[in-house]
This record gives sequence, structure tokens and C-alpha cells, in this order.
Amino acid sequence: MNDFAGNEEMLQDFLQEAGDLLSDVDNKLVDLEKDPGDKKLLNDIFRNFHTIKGGAGFLNATEMVKLCHLTENLFDKLRNEELTMNPVIMDAIFAATGVVRDMFGSLAHFTQPAPADASLIATLTAVVNGEAASAAPVPQPASSSNGPDWAVLHQSISGAPALEAPAPANAPAAPKREPAHEPARAAPRRDGEKPPVEKETTIRIDTARLDQVLNLSGEIGLTKNRLNCLRNNVLQGKTDQHTLRDLDEAVNELDLLVGVLQNAVMKTRMQPVGRLFQKYPRMARDLARQLGKDLELEITGEETELDKTMIEELSDPLVHLIRNAVDHGIETPEERIAAGKPEKSIVRLSAIQAGDHIVIEISDDGRGMNAAVLRRKALEKKIVDEETLNNMDEQQSLGIIFMPGFSTKDQISNVSGRGVGMDVVKTNIQKLNGRIEISSVQGQGSTFSIYLPLTLAILPVLIVRVGEQSFAVPLAMVREIIPIKPEEVQSVSGRATMVVRDEVLPIRALAEMIGWPQEAPPSYGVLMKSGSKSFILAVSNFVGREDVVIKPLKGIKPRGVAGATLSGDGSIVLILDMAELLSGESATKSSLFTQSIKNQEAGLAAA
Amino acid sequence: MANADLKILVVDDFSTMRRIIRNLLKELGFPNVTEAEDGVDALKKLQGGNFEFVVSDWNMPNMSGIDLLRAIRKDPTLKHLPVLMVTAEAKKENIIEAAQAGASGYVVKPFTAAVLDEKLNKIFKTMGI
Repeated sequence: MNDFAGNEEMLQDFLQEAGDLLSDVDNKLVDLEKDPGDKKLLNDIFRNFHTIKGGAGFLNATEMVKLCHLTENLFDKLRNEELTMNPVIMDAIFAATGVVRDMFGSLAHFTQPAPADASLIATLTAVVNGEAASAAPVPQPASSSNGPDWAVLHQSISGAPALEAPAPANAPAAPKREPAHEPARAAPRRDGEKPPVEKETTIRIDTARLDQVLNLSGEIGLTKNRLNCLRNNVLQGKTDQHTLRDLDEAVNELDLLVGVLQNAVMKTRMQPVGRLFQKYPRMARDLARQLGKDLELEITGEETELDKTMIEELSDPLVHLIRNAVDHGIETPEERIAAGKPEKSIVRLSAIQAGDHIVIEISDDGRGMNAAVLRRKALEKKIVDEETLNNMDEQQSLGIIFMPGFSTKDQISNVSGRGVGMDVVKTNIQKLNGRIEISSVQGQGSTFSIYLPLTLAILPVLIVRVGEQSFAVPLAMVREIIPIKPEEVQSVSGRATMVVRDEVLPIRALAEMIGWPQEAPPSYGVLMKSGSKSFILAVSNFVGREDVVIKPLKGIKPRGVAGATLSGDGSIVLILDMAELLSGESATKSSLFTQSIKNQEAGLAAA
Repeated sequence: MANADLKILVVDDFSTMRRIIRNLLKELGFPNVTEAEDGVDALKKLQGGNFEFVVSDWNMPNMSGIDLLRAIRKDPTLKHLPVLMVTAEAKKENIIEAAQAGASGYVVKPFTAAVLDEKLNKIFKTMGI
């Protein structure tokens, strides 16, 4: 079914731009709740609805035009002080924006949206006509504080299908009103034949960035011509010093230009993370209301840029983390007052570029995490055994929440606490070559920090060798390269270790990790850091750093291999997935390696 | 009939809308279109831009369409410019306000190419373009 044949491109443009406008409305509404009389806010929201209406008109989306028109009239009266804001109006407005977003959803599937729920239209009309200005028992619109709305909201934000069947909310703030009209309101998106939400396939790029790409590809073309010319010279036997120097220069220039071009192309995919962030204040607000909590979501660093794919992939994990902060992290107003904290809690969402990484942080000023409780729960649920637990320090214990099947809430709530989510968050972030860390102070709050590379397209790696075979390890994990001297290797409870600047670090031989025989004792160690774990990766030799493009392996998936790439000399290099390699290796194996080192040492001593 | 090189400035803060109007104008045989995102931007582009026609939205941030229209009429070098106002309102008082401010024509969203053509031709006739 396609109601927009021939107009798809215009529709895409509209959805992107109008979607931004609506997110802006959502944020401004949250602000407006704090300051209901703010003229500028009222004006801006009015204009946004007006603009959406204008665009919808050209798409013949009459139902959307109708709803936007009503809402716009309402804001016209509010800004002209013919009406004053009250909770009934506010709820109606929140409901209306929710429905408009649902309508965008059906437009995205090339379907004209169904009419908005009649009772919402009736409420809006009544409010505009000044009939319902007092909080009379007017039939409430499908308010965002209703239980089932979370599913809709989450769906609209994350694009993922609702995780649960809409259950009646048992949260304290949800008033007892049966949303009899709910099915009608949700009809456009829950009619069962809804195709999965497609990813955005278009992108808006600053033309200056495109011009730079064009310019650079022109430059590369010129350098290529020069190289062609030089090749002819060389083929004709002209290999004097002058020609060779020219060749060297041309290759250097090409090297430089390709680097700059890669960077410029990467930049075209960079989008401000604010487009993602702006969806959250409304979500956090609705969720907090549903749970009877008072909170403000503070956002900083919206202008930080991130690869478009990553922005899309981050949406789900961030929804989970914010949901987690609101549900588990912050306390109820009563608890907060009892703890001597301000009633309103602050959840901060920030993005910042630090070197070649982007750091996204979600922090709350809530109750913080209790490592002891987490350890106890983990034991109760048999997620970890006692021995593993004893080897975990405080920091590692906090990481328990990322383990599959873990959830601290005894009762499964509508919001979170199904034990799915946090482990998915971690997996999703790792898929993006990123990592997540937790820091938490009991009684003061928790911070989740997500570290992401700037792009997925190009991966800086260190090429190492085991025997003659080359492997690549992500450079981001490499701290330094050290020679392994047999006399410095010590065996601690059967494991090979080495002391580097007073720190005892385990040595893992790459050959053993991938199941190869250890032919010659490794002579170099790469000091690596994965999460909070440091270790020395023992290899035969190393080649150097390179920027590689990861080619996924189709059909086969060897354990511990993330993909392959071609090295400069045309040979295939396997890119190692260190996290996967580390997760599966056993402790006893290293004894063999210790033995071989010790043997060599003995040999040296004998010599 | 106006020639196909007629240089038109389309003013709207919503880029989708600018694109829609640009496409409609192209369909009607006017490919020479420049875009501006609000009144301020439009005035800047109009200065020395040799534009011969303006199509402007009403409701915009920074400077609204009606203020732009008034500014155009006040500027001795621009005041002769035909300005077609585009709005989502068909309210009588809006039409009167636009007429008083010196609009050459008025078209209500959404409109088809045929409607736009009709409005343009009416303006061309009265302006003698």
C-alpha cells in the first residue's frame, strides 16, 4: 500500500524536517511546564505546529492537518492570553503531539494516518472554545501518563516493536482511568500488519563538506595522472634519481590526499548527536510522571558529531539507560526528602569529544549502586559462582548489571526490571567498537560512560605476527609494546605474569588463545587494556600501525575474529576481537607457555 | 506571458515547503529559483540580487513574511517587486492585512500547480510582465 507514489522523496524530506520540529515541540513543552506563560515558547510551538500543518497539507494528510490546526489554534489563544494554561490543557497538548508522532509513523510506511481519536479532538475543540478551561470531568485524552503509552512512546523513539503487551500501569502516578479509546488512538501503528520500521536512508549534509570531497577527489585525479606519467617513464627504463624522487613525492601526496579524503567522506556521515538527544526529555518526563518521580533531564553537548549509523544504533541503548536511571537510579520524592536531597532529581545526558573518541555520559543524582547487593543478587540468581565473585573487585561487581538475566527489582515493573536490557546495552555498544563503564557512589548517584570511536568505517590497528601470520588488534586497546625477557616472566599460581612498573600483569600468548601450537617463545608483548582489565598479549613480532577497513567474513565466523582486511602487500590480515578471545580462554592453558618460557630461560642460562 | 528566466526568490523557513514550491514553479516553467529561509535572509538576498519575483511564506522566525513585504515596499530599489504571499490561513483579516501591506497576490496552502499558475498569471497581467 502506497498512498504517496511519486512523492516519496518529498515525504522523506517532510518526515525528517517535521520530525525535528515535533521533537523541538516536545522539548519546549517540557520547558513550558516549568514556565507556562513564556511567550517565546508559546510562539515557537505555535509556529512549529503551523509549519507541520502546512507541509501535511501538501501531502493530503488531512487528519494530520486537522489535528495540527486545532493544536495551533489552541496555542494561538494561549499566546494571545485568551486562554491560560492548566493541567487539562497541558495533558491534551502532550497527547496531541504524541498522536502527531504516531501519524508520522504511518506516513513513514506510505499510509495516510487514521483520524485522531474522537475524544482527543473533542477535548481540544472544547479547550479551544474555552469550554474545558477548568479541570472539569471532561473525558481525558489518551494521556501520556497512562501505562500503555510507554510502549507507544518507546516504540516511536527507538523504532523497536513494543517489548511488552500494554499492561495496566500500577505505577503510583497513573490515575485510574480506563483508556477506552486507546485502541482507536493507536490504530495506525498497532494494526498488526505494520511492517518493521525502516531506517532513515537519507542524510542532510552541509554543502561545504560535499564541496571539500569533490575538491579532494579532483586533486587525487591529478595525482593519479602524474603517477601514470611517471609509470610510463619507469616502464621505458627511465629510473634516474630525478624520476624516482618525483615518484616518491607523488606517492606521498597521494597518501596524504587519500587520508584527507577519507576524513572528509567520514565527515559527511557525521551528524550532531542532538538529533538523538532531543527525543529524550519528553520520554524521561513521561516516565517520571508514570512512576511518581520528579526529575529534570539536562542535556549538554548536543552539537557533538557522531557517525550517522552510530547515532541510530545508540538510540536503543540510550533509551534503556535513561529508563534505568529514572526507574532504578533516582528515588521517589519522599525518599529524597528523607535523605536530605532536593525533591527534584537531575539526570544528565552529555556528549563530548575526547581525542579520537566520543564520550556519552548518563548520570543521575539518585541512590547509587550497592556492590554488595549486586553480588548477593548475582549469587541468588546463580548468574556467577562464588569463586568468580571472589575475584571481582568493587568496580567489576558493578558490571554485574550487564550480565544476561540480571535484574535487581524483585517485582517486574512495566518500566524496567525484566532483566533484559542492560546486557543488550553492553552488547550493542560493543558492536560499535565502544565500551561502557560505570561509576557509582552510594547515596550520591551513578554515572554510565559510553566510549565510542568516531567512525566505524576506518579502524586504526596494530599489526602483530604469530610466526609468519599477521593479525590486527585495535589500536585503541594498545598502551605500549614491550620486549618479553624470559628472565622477567614469573609464574603466579600457574599463570605467566610480568611486572611492568610495579604492576603484575598476566601474559596471554596469542598463539594459544587462537589454538595454535607455540612454536617459538614470543619475544614481544603488547600491553593492552580492555575495559578495566590490563594484560600483555604475547606475540612473535609486530609490524606497525595501519588504518584498515574491516571486511566482514561472510559465511564463517571463527571465534575471536572480527573480520579481515588487506595489508599493503596484498596479504590477508585477520582482525582480532579481543573481548571474544579473552572471554573464552581458560586459566590453565598458560602453564604450557610458562613452561616454554622457562625452558628457554634454562637454555639461556646453560649457554 | 513572463519569460522562463524570471528570477524568483522563494522564502520559507521550512525547507520541505521551499522544495515543494520550487518544484511547482519548475513544473510551470520557471526554473530560475533561489531560496531564502526567513525575511532577514530574503532581504539580504534581494539586495542587488536582480530578483524579479518573490514568493513568501507568512509565518517565519526572525522576520515574518508580512514584515518582509513591508520592508520590500519601503525600499526604493525593491518596492516595485511583485510579492505573492503563501499562507496556511484563509482568514479574511489576514488577506486584508496582506493587501494593505502591498501584497501582489495571496495563495492558501495547500495548492496545486494549476492554482499557483492562475495566481501568478493574475499578477503578471496586472504588473504587465
